[in-house]
Amino acid sequence: MISEVLPDFRYLDSNKEYVMVKSNTLPSGQTRIDNMEICGITKRFPGVLANDHIDFDVKSGEVHALLGENGAGKSTLMKILYGIYHPDEGEIFINQKPVTINSPMDAIKSGIGMIHQHFMLVQTLTVAENVALGLLSSRGLLTDLDRVSKRIIELADIYNLKIDPDAYIWQLSVGQQQRVEIIKALYRGAALLILDEPTAVLTPQEVEELFAIMRQMVKDGYALIFISHKLHEVIEISNRVTVLRNGKRISTHLTSETTKEDLARWMVGHDIEFITSHEKSNVGEVLLKLENVSCNSDNGRHGLSDVSLEIHSGEILGIAGVSGNCQLELAETITGMRKTTGGHIYLGPDEITGLAPGELTERMLSYIPEERMRDGVIRNFSVAENMILREHHKSPYSRSGFLRLKDISAHTDELIEQFQVKTPSQATLAKNLSGGNIQKLVLAREISRNPRAIIAAQPTRGLDIGASEYVRAQLLEQRKAGAAIMLISEDLDEIFALSDRIAVIYEGKIMDVLTCEEATRERVGLLMAGVHPKKKASA
Amino acid sequence: MISDLFSTTVIIGIISSGIRLATPYLYASLGETFSQRSGVLNLGVEGQMLMGAFAAFYVALKFGSLWGGVLAAILVGAVFGLAMAFVSNNLHAAQGISGIGFYLFGLGMSNLLFQKMIGTVETVQGFPKIYIPFLSDIPGIGEIFFSHNILVYIAFFLVPVAWFVLNKTTLGLKIRAVGENPDAADSLGVSVIRVRYFTVIFGGVMSALGGASLSIALLNVFQQNMTSGLGFIAVALVYFGGWRPWGILGGALLFSMVNSLQLWIQVLGIPIPSEIALMMPYILTILVLVVSTSKVRGPSALSKPFERGD
Amino acid sequence: MKKPYVVLIGLLVLSLMFSSCATAATEEPAAAAEAAQVEEAAEEAEVAPMEEAAEPFRVAVVMPSAINDVAFSQSMYEALLFVQEKMGGADAFDFVYSENMFVVDDAAAAIRDYATQGYDLVIAHGSQYGSSLQEIAPDFPDTSFAWGTTVDTFGIPNIFAYEAASQEGGYVNGVIAASLSTSKKIGVIGPIETGDAKLYVDGFKVGAEATDPAIEVSVNWTGSFSDVALASEAATTHIANGADVLTGSAQMVVGAIGKAQESDVLWFGTQANQTSLAPSIVVASQVYHWEGVLQEMIGLINAGTLGGQSFTLTLANGGEVIEFNPDYALPDDVKALADSTVQGIIDGTITITLPAAE
Repeated sequence: MISEVLPDFRYLDSNKEYVMVKSNTLPSGQTRIDNMEICGITKRFPGVLANDHIDFDVKSGEVHALLGENGAGKSTLMKILYGIYHPDEGEIFINQKPVTINSPMDAIKSGIGMIHQHFMLVQTLTVAENVALGLLSSRGLLTDLDRVSKRIIELADIYNLKIDPDAYIWQLSVGQQQRVEIIKALYRGAALLILDEPTAVLTPQEVEELFAIMRQMVKDGYALIFISHKLHEVIEISNRVTVLRNGKRISTHLTSETTKEDLARWMVGHDIEFITSHEKSNVGEVLLKLENVSCNSDNGRHGLSDVSLEIHSGEILGIAGVSGNCQLELAETITGMRKTTGGHIYLGPDEITGLAPGELTERMLSYIPEERMRDGVIRNFSVAENMILREHHKSPYSRSGFLRLKDISAHTDELIEQFQVKTPSQATLAKNLSGGNIQKLVLAREISRNPRAIIAAQPTRGLDIGASEYVRAQLLEQRKAGAAIMLISEDLDEIFALSDRIAVIYEGKIMDVLTCEEATRERVGLLMAGVHPKKKASA
Repeated sequence: MISDLFSTTVIIGIISSGIRLATPYLYASLGETFSQRSGVLNLGVEGQMLMGAFAAFYVALKFGSLWGGVLAAILVGAVFGLAMAFVSNNLHAAQGISGIGFYLFGLGMSNLLFQKMIGTVETVQGFPKIYIPFLSDIPGIGEIFFSHNILVYIAFFLVPVAWFVLNKTTLGLKIRAVGENPDAADSLGVSVIRVRYFTVIFGGVMSALGGASLSIALLNVFQQNMTSGLGFIAVALVYFGGWRPWGILGGALLFSMVNSLQLWIQVLGIPIPSEIALMMPYILTILVLVVSTSKVRGPSALSKPFERGD
Repeated sequence: MKKPYVVLIGLLVLSLMFSSCATAATEEPAAAAEAAQVEEAAEEAEVAPMEEAAEPFRVAVVMPSAINDVAFSQSMYEALLFVQEKMGGADAFDFVYSENMFVVDDAAAAIRDYATQGYDLVIAHGSQYGSSLQEIAPDFPDTSFAWGTTVDTFGIPNIFAYEAASQEGGYVNGVIAASLSTSKKIGVIGPIETGDAKLYVDGFKVGAEATDPAIEVSVNWTGSFSDVALASEAATTHIANGADVLTGSAQMVVGAIGKAQESDVLWFGTQANQTSLAPSIVVASQVYHWEGVLQEMIGLINAGTLGGQSFTLTLANGGEVIEFNPDYALPDDVKALADSTVQGIIDGTITITLPAAE
């Protein structure tokens, strides 16, 4: 059925016209994979049917997007294709011939390359060393890095990638590291590339550059599988799209014949109302204020420097930035978990610089931490115990050091109900809840106190669409109630959807603070990359 | 009296005895460097040294063959390394604790075998000093550098070899990658487990050779617990040397020379309490560690067992 | 519980078995047999009080190093063997020991175990065990304990104390050493500046300096009883500094003796006879004979006195003996001087004034 969707050996050009690919040799010298077909793949994990008889295929000259929520089974499917997992049932065909893929080595030999979401690069090695790793050397036991470097430059030239083979990985930006991953796959003769959430860590400009490379590769005859949960990207880049839900294939369509709403419905199983815009709320006095705040970071590189921000009552200030630009440091500094090296922080009229987290709790500052499993809950505590973590020492939850279990239980029941936490019981350990429900638990604890200020760090990362929209709605609810909210997120869509103003952070500095009207994707994207649009214009 | 320290005899004495004292450290630390660079923390070095020392001594004593003793140490070290590799790679045991287990096992086992198979303290004729022609005749220099036994020369020769293997060979590249990011190495078809088996077995062999260098080359006796914490210093020297062979050479020599300096301070009767003199090498080690660790980072995957998939 | 932990625990148990299990003194090699004997001993303990006359006198010893260390522990082991033979074998005198108990906590546990098993006398052979004994002894008022080297019984009625006046043998060794040295430089290697080793080293120094005021005795403490490598390098250092006579205390000196032999430098031993280690260069050894003290204690215990007294080994009471190496050709005049020194100490005509403690 799927193979009828497109005839063989052509790609869709920008005018949506089919063009024949002439040679069956790719620019990297590798023979094309005309088509790859996965038939009836089933994979069971204890208690979970991760893949349930899934069919999927990809052809030379197309981007086939694989769409689904966390846990829908896309990663499992791709790990099977790449030989990391072994399927319980099903077959894989390349160019109509059945193949067995037992390890990444087999996948590489079959011409399959994978760009992992978390880059598979050794930070302390150079680009050339990373590429050469695991390959036979022309000099036997000795490395042949000069030859490898030469070939890297050749491959990089095809797609204009500009990579210095002698640079250490840790010296490269995230976007450059991704290119190294692509080169690495091409070097190994990949004709089919799996790109697992490749845009998650990129700035909008870097996403555009990646898409340009992908388009060129498709034109050259590569087969690309693009995994994402960002609908607009899927619509922008893919030729076909397959949606998975709960381990099953829900649909496969030409992208041009679907809409964002269709895709979302297939993903979630019911209609979703997207929070696209929000009413203006009544912005009040300044509640949270940072004045020239600086701090050190863990890795010995730049920490926060001279950060000044103001958040008003009833306002959401979005902090946009590429991962690893001191977002964590910012949140930890405000919430008292990290020492400042300079500057002042105020909550309302009172200075709170250097106060301990317990002290800040008293002053009604709430924190929704980025690492919810590490900082948000105690994994081996029950739901009820986690619910009262912040106020366990206070009436009515305890008296003279003794916990009052009845009151705790009543309070927990109320919150479970109110915040729709799906848990078998109050006594269930936090670690046994799903990511979405853990986040709801954290929200319930942090928000139910009606805090004056909320620091929300990556509040929807890793959550499914339903849970994400719920969390966002709750934040808007708090904004309406007059809280000052700092929303730290690497998801630009989220920033744009919720924020009243957007501050962009780069290497620990605030590049600029823009109002909703000023903030365009392009402008924010440039700031995220550390480029000041105004300066550029004047240069 | 302090001026006595600057006489030629004393300076030659300090350096040449520093070189001898550094020898067992070099073997053990270079071996440990390989296993740590691949991500395995082996705290059983001391036990492996004792077993190697015993095996070499036993063969030398009973069969009269020094090279047979070296071979015996290599075999025993390999067996111990294999066991450590199995425990850390296949059973995913906590490496710190299992290393201590192997240390205690080696300590007890070498003692038991000593009691049952030899019984009393005996001495052997160890490897003789080799005077390198012409070079050993140079005054001072000759005594310091060219009048040692073969195991001392081999230890120092292994430093550039280890550097070369780590940095210039495909094996070295795999070792470094596996210790930094085993998932990445695995995704490129490098067998993380195989690399770690190799390095841990190699580490065991090197530790055992370090032990053998004591029992059949430098001291020519075996006694229970004769290494007396040397294996743990060797592990510390790996950190001290920043996981690099040349750094380890520097660390081992510095530590050993300060140790021989303190021996001279006592022998010359310089009025420093012996307790203070004895502390000198350790104080120095701590100081260097404090200064250097802020700059050098160890292998990221050190002591983390590898399991495919997540 | 996961597999790794099982393996780990298995390893730990094995290693503990090897390193510190109680080893029976009789000549049974197999570990299984030893274990059986310990069990047997425990059973015997229950019936012991009733049939005391028919039961052997039972002694347990905890020692810091091995029974064949050619030093401190070996001297006690040999004394126990001697007493056993003298009293008519294992039927009359039975003893067990735990060696290599360099961890004081392990030693304390062993001491308590032995006391629980009803041994007649439990010996803690090491001054580091004192405070443990002080705690344990009052819990077992019917068991006799002994410890050394010290004179302190803590005023507890079931503790004996014993020590060796090792400065006496040290003095004699020092006299001979000074007479034989031509370079007038003598090197001493000690473990930790305390107890028996300090007495020996101080006595040696006094003896050497009394014989030849120009003699230079330099002392090197290694900070450890077991660091063979450092002791050996200390010997090398002494030799490089011109010493032609060396001595040293504790079990780690085996390495140093090797270095002395290599460089053909003379050696004086203490605690046990060290001639066998280097027959060509060992001149004499001060040897401890604990058997006298042991027999005296046994007599007292059988008579109902469980402690409260302290004993000192001296040249005069035969607890210390200077044993000469028959293979070393000691000049007659030096031998005569040595003998007269021994006699002088026994008579009291020679008194050894040790330097005051700092």
